Order: sequence, then structure tokens, then C-alpha cells
Amino acid sequence: MVSLNTAIVIKLEPDFSEGNVSYNSDGTLNRAETKSILGPHSAVASKAAFYSKVKYGARISVGTMGPPIADYALQQAQLICDADELHLYSDRIFAGADTLATAEVLKTGIGKMEGGKMDIVFSGHRASDGETGQTGPQTAWKLGYTFLGNVIDYDIDLEKRTVIAKRLITLQGFYDIIEEVEAPLPAFITVDPSYKPAFNTVSQRLAFVKYQKEANERAQSYKKYLKVFNAQQLGVDPKFVGLPGSPTIVYKVEKIPKAKASRKAEVVDASDRGQIAKVVTRIHEILGGIVIK
Amino acid sequence: MERFDVAIIGGGSAGLAALKQLSNLEKQAVLIDAGKTIGSKNVSGGILYSKKPKNGKVYNVEDVYEDGFVSDAPLERLITKYILHATSKDKIFSIDLTSAHKYQANFGYSVLLNKLNSWFAKEAAASAQKQGGGIIPGVHVKSITWQNDRTIVETDELDEFEVKAIIAADGVNSEIAEITGARNKFTTEELYQGVKVVVKLPEEIMEQRFEIGPNEGAAHLFAGDITLNHIGGGFVYTNRDTLSAGAVYHYDSLIQKPDEPYTLVNAILNNPMVKEFIKDEVAVKADIDKSLPKEEQLRTRFAVSKLVNTWDELRNVYYSPTGKAKLIESGKYKSETEIKSRIDSLSQELSDKYKAKFVTDYVELEYSAKLIPDGKRCRMKKPYYKNVLFVGDAAGRGIFVGPRIEGLNVGIDDAVRAANAVARSIDRNNFTHNYLGDYYTRFVEDSPYTRDMKEIDKDYLKTFLDATKDVPKDIVGSRYGMIFRLMSSGTLRGLAVGFANILGYDRLLPIVESVETYVQVPVEIAEKSGTRVSSTYTPTIPTIAQRIAKLKYDDDNLSHIKVLHPKSEFMKKMVTLCPTRCYSIENQDVMLQHEGCIECGTCAKETEWRHPRGEKGINFQYG
Amino acid sequence: MTMITSEGSYRNLYVIIEHEEGKPIPVSLEMLGEARRLMDDFNKKYSSNEKVVAILLGNNIRKLCEELLLYGADAVIYAESPELQYSRNLIDTKIISQIAINKECVAKISPDYVEHFKKPRYMFFAADNIGRHLSSTVLAELESGLASDINKLVIEDLEIKHEHKTKGQAMTYAKTLEMYRPDFSGFLWTTILCLDNRNPAIEREYHPQACSIIPGVFQPLVRDSTRSGIIVEYIPKLEEQDLNVKILSRKIIKSAVDFDIHKAIISFGRGIKDSPEENIKLIEQLAKELDAEIGISLPISKKPYVVNETITSKYMTPDRVIGTSGRKVSPLLYIAVGISGAMQHIAGMKESEFVIAINPDENSPIKDDCDLFIKGRMEYVVPILIEELRKQKLVMEVRK
Repeated sequence: MVSLNTAIVIKLEPDFSEGNVSYNSDGTLNRAETKSILGPHSAVASKAAFYSKVKYGARISVGTMGPPIADYALQQAQLICDADELHLYSDRIFAGADTLATAEVLKTGIGKMEGGKMDIVFSGHRASDGETGQTGPQTAWKLGYTFLGNVIDYDIDLEKRTVIAKRLITLQGFYDIIEEVEAPLPAFITVDPSYKPAFNTVSQRLAFVKYQKEANERAQSYKKYLKVFNAQQLGVDPKFVGLPGSPTIVYKVEKIPKAKASRKAEVVDASDRGQIAKVVTRIHEILGGIVIK
Repeated sequence: MERFDVAIIGGGSAGLAALKQLSNLEKQAVLIDAGKTIGSKNVSGGILYSKKPKNGKVYNVEDVYEDGFVSDAPLERLITKYILHATSKDKIFSIDLTSAHKYQANFGYSVLLNKLNSWFAKEAAASAQKQGGGIIPGVHVKSITWQNDRTIVETDELDEFEVKAIIAADGVNSEIAEITGARNKFTTEELYQGVKVVVKLPEEIMEQRFEIGPNEGAAHLFAGDITLNHIGGGFVYTNRDTLSAGAVYHYDSLIQKPDEPYTLVNAILNNPMVKEFIKDEVAVKADIDKSLPKEEQLRTRFAVSKLVNTWDELRNVYYSPTGKAKLIESGKYKSETEIKSRIDSLSQELSDKYKAKFVTDYVELEYSAKLIPDGKRCRMKKPYYKNVLFVGDAAGRGIFVGPRIEGLNVGIDDAVRAANAVARSIDRNNFTHNYLGDYYTRFVEDSPYTRDMKEIDKDYLKTFLDATKDVPKDIVGSRYGMIFRLMSSGTLRGLAVGFANILGYDRLLPIVESVETYVQVPVEIAEKSGTRVSSTYTPTIPTIAQRIAKLKYDDDNLSHIKVLHPKSEFMKKMVTLCPTRCYSIENQDVMLQHEGCIECGTCAKETEWRHPRGEKGINFQYG
Repeated sequence: MTMITSEGSYRNLYVIIEHEEGKPIPVSLEMLGEARRLMDDFNKKYSSNEKVVAILLGNNIRKLCEELLLYGADAVIYAESPELQYSRNLIDTKIISQIAINKECVAKISPDYVEHFKKPRYMFFAADNIGRHLSSTVLAELESGLASDINKLVIEDLEIKHEHKTKGQAMTYAKTLEMYRPDFSGFLWTTILCLDNRNPAIEREYHPQACSIIPGVFQPLVRDSTRSGIIVEYIPKLEEQDLNVKILSRKIIKSAVDFDIHKAIISFGRGIKDSPEENIKLIEQLAKELDAEIGISLPISKKPYVVNETITSKYMTPDRVIGTSGRKVSPLLYIAVGISGAMQHIAGMKESEFVIAINPDENSPIKDDCDLFIKGRMEYVVPILIEELRKQKLVMEVRK
């Protein structure tokens, strides 16, 4: 019997690393020339879900909204988490969705996953192309699940049906805080980029290796696990998805103009050695060192 | 506390063979390795042999991994050509030693250990799982304790667990040997330092250059001035689409006259014959116009990187028969010509639009180093402590006879013997030292490999001498002239070898393993009878900093090495002898920067030396 | 052109305040400052009397309510309970959403608008670990749009012609909040609008227009003790199941990188690119000479160059980023090496006492934000600096 049902929502994103990414001359991303991969934060979310598989034998479904080629991201995620089911929500009318409209599709999709009601849903911290970090919490809210953000560690109490999680809170101008919380299932977790699963016994490590091997085999024939849904099959209202379901639009994109000068700089030519010596004297003065005459 | 039958510590070729063998015998075993993935800490020269000695039996790799081994394992190339070159500057005299290479051998394959050990691990793990065991990477064993009759393993990462017996396969710098006190650290006389670079070379270009068939390979050995007057020798082995180029040096010789390992390996790469071996076509990016706007500079940079990557990948595929076939099958390209024209158009775009140049140079992929134990000198006479059995490098076992350097096959043979001994103990539930340890000791003593570590094999010597019969004898110094004449006659050879074996290796070695044998004789031979080899290009050899930058590390912020004697002569030499320049002298004290450490153990003798914690440290991609 | 009638149903700008134990997070006051400026202009331009309303949840926070008025709020609506001591997404979202549509509160703050009031016109959240998530869930509850990581705001009447929003017709959207969002490269600015669907086929209202604001961008107002305003308590409807999330512990941790204990900070950016590894090592040496901590610009944290893993894991990490997505620092001496000066970075270091920039390009924006600009390649300048520092140190020691 499966004691824990989990889902992950992931995203296919451009590969921003050098040698793979390509930019247009106006500075925008050249999407045609840039390969797409499973987003790095989605990969972390997949790792977090895999922890549940190793430790609690959880069942895992992975869902994503995207073009047909986004099945590649699902395959990559399956390779990490040994998913039992892959969902692709793909329809032309989903295009151009903002976070609210995306959350609507994901919420509906998660409802269609085979495990039935989910105990935990994982998502990445944010996407590396959109970078809003809103889709996760908005999906959580639509699902009516308790939302836990920036999770760096978690464990499940299967008896009490609760999750105990550590969250990293960084607030500007304040110290960082690690907060430990307990929440009833179902919960929606966005995983902090610094998340690292800890498997502390030989048996857990052996299970880890076993599932990892299974993940390799499954990912090789990932299509067997893949279900593709269009808007109609999902049963979403077209008014709530894609552009019509998006409150926000991109009005314009422009180069950031030069800001006004806040300080007046004295310019020193590096080739003048004497000048540099003066700079160093200045540094000593500023830092309260002994003033040299 | 969790309990398992056997723990194997170290996931090199020997540890993995022990796991596979125990699983074959239906015993439960767990293999623990500190590397992030199996194979990431392993380096070898490397040729993997399978042997069929006339007297006695060795356990070969294919005995352990069974039928699938030759067909499935990621072996690089079957070595069909084995040539020794005596060098003096640009003069080279070549001796075909293929017959010596084939002596009592089923086969010898060139291998890259990362790939090969990953495959071993896959096979061994599959068998081990059926017995409730398996492989656990990323875990570092820090201690073993005995409480009454319980043996408890403590690691940096996991809860402690209990086992009945342990096989220690943690390499030449065995921490298990250190923490149990089973043996002393090896001395410089007992070790060789090996340094290697892996060089990229497309398949078909290699086959043409080395005059080998699609599945064949060549091994080229070098002796003479190429070692910068150190006792040792250089090598170039052909892998599938890379070359392994490097050298081994007697550590004592390095201590006498320290030279940086990277300078030594550069001397190999700068030899005209080696230069010609490693050369390839390389794309050189042009400097980006600094007057362009920032975004444009960045865009150009990324665009060029992408084009160069594509050009390079496609070119590798083009020169690989299987790669080519796959690409055409995938439907991406219709024919070979189409791939070629795509490559040409990429290079055209690079040179026209981005002013890139295509030059003759070489591409270094990975720099590595390792210590090699000379089994003649340092094998453990009793390779166990309580219920811990030592195998392979950890037990100081390896064959070093002239050009014959074997470690992988010795480790595998040891591992099978250790596994069999442990299985026998499990069956009788008897892990006492006379039932387990002493039995294993006798078992290992029976191995033909142990014989090779103890005495000269006169048949091997004959094969070797026959192969070198064209070497002009008059230049082989007066001291050697007589030996050569003695050895060339069947009867006398028998007598001489018999006499030598009575004397024992201990007394012979200082005479045989000398600068004269390893350097002066080959130099003289090359001077007198060698032919000139020329190479016109200058290889862009990376600096040590660039080499280190290319390596992958996951740095452990706790240093795994502690300097014990910052002012000692030995430590001062480490500044030169550390292959990745981890040591420097500040205010007369030797200081350590462990971040570049590749865990070779060169400095282990006078330091507190541990392997980094699980997943930390060096992560070799080729090995 | 048509004017939508429901425009009359939205009023005021709500600012969601964040605090730790009653002490406001700086961005809270920054948001109030910007809100004040925007609404002053707004009221003048539209001859109206809309308010800046701060929303504050917590325990023992009455003093903070007063403070918020002094920093620019016209009114504060607060909810107080021991249950609200620390932020918890579920309960906070529910209460904020309740307050946002609560007419009784509005009756006390803007009695003249209460009749028509449906929702806030605008809403601001902090773009930090709490506000980012809170804004998402609140706006999911209120079913409206949200733009994240904003660093410039403008309110205007805009003529919009949009395939979906207006079915391709030109329409005026009055009092529209233009939300400017920089992308991570620092080169591009995207303006995001939250607009009602006026296309009859998909007609739908989307208010409030909400965004999360990058900390450190806007100036807070100078505390003005003569300011006054209205403080309204909201008694939240707490339900048992909303309190199921229990905070077991809170532990303060210190980052391995501590900018605050160093008098000097040296930061590097993409200018290291020609030989990243050697250049980082040079910077390390310079830092050692000055006992400085090392910072980076955001792009570096994305590990754009292939260098030694050790260096990558030590320096190319998010906890070293100085700027809007990282730390805000104010050392005595700030040296920017090979940093062009994207506005996000400037926001993180502009409070520094003295700023030296090393850059070969005199046109880089950093020149406008430094006191001393050394024109030259870092490969050339830094070694000379190190040498001079050592020389002068020697002189000092001799004199001692």
C-alpha cells in the first residue's frame, strides 16, 4: 500500500549556461537557438520528492505545462525522482499564461493524477527564465493546500499525517532564520535551492541506489509513463487559462537607461604609478590606518 | 544498529570485484566508497590484463564478471601493438615488445577507470542487491572498532553499523591500514609516482595515425632522456577516442632530485614522437572587440562558444563510425557528406563571422596523478588485521618488472581470494584470525602474481630478450654486456636466474633499478641507432593552474591533510613534488592549500593523511 | 472610447508591512515612502483623496502602528494576536484578504468612498522570502494579477489595444500602475500591467493591481513625528484549521560570509572574464591585504565561467551577492572590480562610505556611483595595488 502520494510541478527552461545559451542583438534571449532543459530549481524539487520515495516509498507524479517538447523536462525529472506518472498539459490556448493562469492549469492537472488526492506537492523555488516564484504558491492556494516556502529539509510523520519542515528565511537587513514548522498534510512545498537530502542509514542508501536504478530504466522508456492533456481533456474553462485567464500583460520591454550619477568620480589613470600610490594612501586613511605623510 | 555480513571499503576495481565475487557466492556485502560516484576517485595508467600463467591459477576479470565482460564492458581498445622507444632528444630507437606484452596473457585492454569502474559497479550492484547488499557511494569510513566479538564501522555520513568481516580495498593510501595499524606507510623506495593526461583524439584519426584497426589499440612506452633522468618510463596508450599519455617515476629518484610532476609530464608531451601522436585540429576563438557595447560582447562570446561546441561535437561524431551511423539513423543527417558539409559550414561561419582560427594543437582533457606500490618491495606479508583483509594497492600489491606494470589484474585476483576466504568464514561462522586471516594469507601467497613479486620469471626474461635481440649489444655498458650474454643462452639463463632468485629481489633491485638501466642505456641506444623524428608545431600545454581549473572538485572545507613537520626536508620537497602544487613555503614553514588536492598521497608519508569526507574532493571524469 | 464604470469600486493603496518582533524590515518603510510619493501625485493629478493604507499583522505591534504613520501611511489596519507573532502563510493570507475587502475598515479611513468600495486599487508587498509567497497567495485568493521584483512604478492613463484584453480595440485604462521589472542581466526592463478584461467574450475585472517590490530600491521618508493618521484594529476571524501550522522553533543563523564585520569589501563582476581563475586569485590577495570580505555581482552567482570547483563553490555563491537580490552593505571602503554597475548592484552598495571602481571602460555606469574611478584592466591594476599596499605597510611598520 502506498502510504504517501506526492506530485511535483516542474518547468522546461532555457539552458542559461555558456556554450548553450544564445542572445539576440537586442539582449533578449534567442529561444530558437537556445536548448531547453529541466529548470535547475525543478531539478531540486525532484530531488526533494525522491527523498520521500526513498524514505517512505512515496508514489510520485510529475506535471508540467508547456509545449509538446516539454516532455523532455518530464523525462529529466523522472530520471531524478523515479516518477510513477508523467503529465504534460499542452494546448495552444495555454500560451502566454501568467502565473495565475498557469496555476489554474496545474491545479486542475494535479487533480487528475492517478494517485488521487495528493499528500505533498513539490515545486521549485522559481524559474530561471521567469523568475517570479509565484506559480508554486498560487497553485498551492488554488488547491487549498498548506503552503510552505523555502524548505531546506523535511520529514513526514506517517502516523500523524504531518510534515515537519525546516524553512530558510532571509530578510534584507536582518539575520537569516531557520524556522522549523509542523503542518498537517496535504502540504505544498517549494524547495529552497540549498536543499540537500540526507540519507543517514545504510538501508536508506541502498534504497536510494535501488530507486535510482529504477529511475534510469523508467526514464529510458518515459513515454510509457506519459499522459498528455489538452485544455478540453483537462476540462479547464478557457476563460481562466492562457492569455484570457491572465490578469497581467507585458506592456513593453526596453533597455534600462543610465541612471543619474550619485557620486562624482575622480578618474585615475592606471598607467600612472604615482597616482596608484596615492590611491593606496587614501585607502589607508579611509580604513583608519596610520596616515603616511 | 543495522547489521550486514561484509563491508567492503573502497570502490576501485578490486573492491568491486570483491563485491561481485561475494554476491556470486550468494553472500551479503555492502561496498562503501567516498567518491560522489563510483570511479570518480580512480586513476590508472591503464591497461587491464587477463592472464593464463603456466603454473598456478589467477582469477581474471572475466571469471568474476562472466561472459558479458568482453562484449559489454566499456573497454577502450584491445592492445595489439606494444612498442618500447629509447629516446634521446629527437632521436628514437624503437623495439617491438608485443610478444612480451602477450606473454601468458589472454588479453590486455586499454581502459579509463571512471567509465570501467562505473560498469563494474553496475554489474556488482545488481548481483549484490539480490543478496540484500549493494554499493553506497559518497560515504567515508572514519573508524572501525571492535566491541567483544562485534565489529562496528563508523563513517562521517551514516549511523554506525555492524559487520562480520571487512575487505579493505581503499588503495595505496589505505586509511584502514593506517587506523588499524596493519602496516606502516609506504616509504619512497617502495613507491612510484604516476602522472597522466588524457588527450582528446577522434577515433578514425587515431586509427590511421597508430596504424590500428577499428577495435585495435597500441601501447607506446618510452625510456631515456624523456624522463628527465629519472628512473621510470613514459607511455602513450590509445583509448577509444582519447589517448592516455604520462609516465611513472621511482619516488626515491624524485626525492633525490625533485622535479615538478607537471614538468615531467610536459617533457613527455614535448617529445617529437608524442607531439605527433597527440596533435589535432583545434578551434581558437578570436579576442572580442572591446569597443562593442557590453551586451554585444557577451552575445558574441556566447554565440562563439556555442558554435565551437557544436563544431567540435559534430566533428568527433564524424570521425566515429558508430557515432556517424547513429546520427544518420536518427534522421538528423542524410549522409556522411551532409555531416561533413555542416562541419565545414560551421567552421566557415566561425572564421568568417567571428574571426576564429583553426590550428594544429592538442586538447588536454584531464590531468591526474597516483602513487603505485611496487609489490616487489612493499607487499604486506600478512595482508590482514583481525577480520579485516587487505587487497590490491591497499596491501601494497602490484607487479613492477621492467616495462611490465600491472595493478588492476592483481587487485582483482586478490579480491576474489579475499571474497572466497570471507565466504568460507561466513559458512562456518568463524572469523578468527587463523580461520580467516591466515587462510587468506596462504591463499594470496599461492597466487602466481605473488611469485612475480618475489622472483624473476626466466621465461618472461627470454621473451623480453628475444624481442630486444636487435639492440646493439656493444653499447649496453660493460656491466650489462656480460649479463646480456649470460641471459641470452638458455642454460646459463636458467642458472643465472636461479642464482638471482636466491639472492632475492631485495639485493638485486638497487643494481637493476638504476639511472643507468632506465636512462643511460636507452639514451645510448637512441644516440647510436635511433632515427630522427620531427614535429613542427608547438603544443599549447596548459599551466598547472589551468590544469587544476579543469578538474572537478567538491571542496571539503575541512582539510583532510594536516602537515605534521612544516620544517622537514621531506615537506620542503613537497612544494616541488605535489602534482597540483598544494604546498608553498611561507616564513620557512611549509603550508598547505588543500583545495587543489587530487588525493594522490605523495605527501602522505609525513602528513596526517585522510581521504576527504563523502562526495568531497576530486571528482575525476576519466581516471 | 469607453470608461469602465466599475473603476469606481477600487480605492487606496495597501502596503503589506513586514517586521521581526515589532521591528520593521527596511523594505517596509521603503514601500511606504514610494507609496506616499505615488499617492500624493495621484491625488493631485486626479483631485482625489485616496490613502496609503498599511496592513500590519503581529503581536504587541501598536507601537509599530504609530511609527508607520510617521513614515508616510495615512492609515494602518492591524490585526493583533499571539497567533500572529510570526508570519505563517495560510493565516496571513486569509487575514490580509479579509482586510482587503473589508468595508468597515474603509468606512473609518475613507468614509466618502465606502459606498462603492469593493477592493483596493493597488497593493504592495516586499519581494523577499515572506512577501514573495504572501503576495502570490493573497492575489490568488483575490483573483487578480501580480508582478514580482519591481524597481520602478508609474501611474498613468494608458491607451491600450490588446488582442485579448480589448479585443483589438483602443481603450483607455485610467490610473494604471506601470510596474517595471529588471531581468537578471540588468540590461532589460519589462513593464507589466494588470488590466481588466474588457473583451466581452472574456470580460473580467482584475483588481487590485499588485506587485512585490525589491528591497533597497526606494527611499524611505524621513521620520516625521508631526504626521498623524488613523489606526484601525481589525479583529480577524481565526478558524481552528487555519492555525494547524505550528512553528516549533526559530533559529538565527549567521552566513559564512559576514559583510558587516569588515571595514572593506571588494566585489567582482563579469570583468574577470578574460582569465577568471587568476583574476579571482588576485582579488583574494587584495582582500587579504585589506582584511576585506569578498562580494560578487548577481551574474557571477550563476556561475557563468568554467573555473576550478573550489573557487566556484567558495565565491560564486548566492550568499556573496551584493545588490537587490543579495545583501545590502555599507562598508567604509567598497572596491568594485570589473563591475559595470547594473542598477541592482548599485542598490546593494550605494550606502558605502567610499567607493573605488576599477574598470577599463570609462562609460560604465559604475563611474556615476563611485568616488574614485581607476581606469584600467584589473589584471594590470590589482597587482600594482597589492604591491603598493605591501610597500606602504612596510614603511608604516618601519616607522612604528
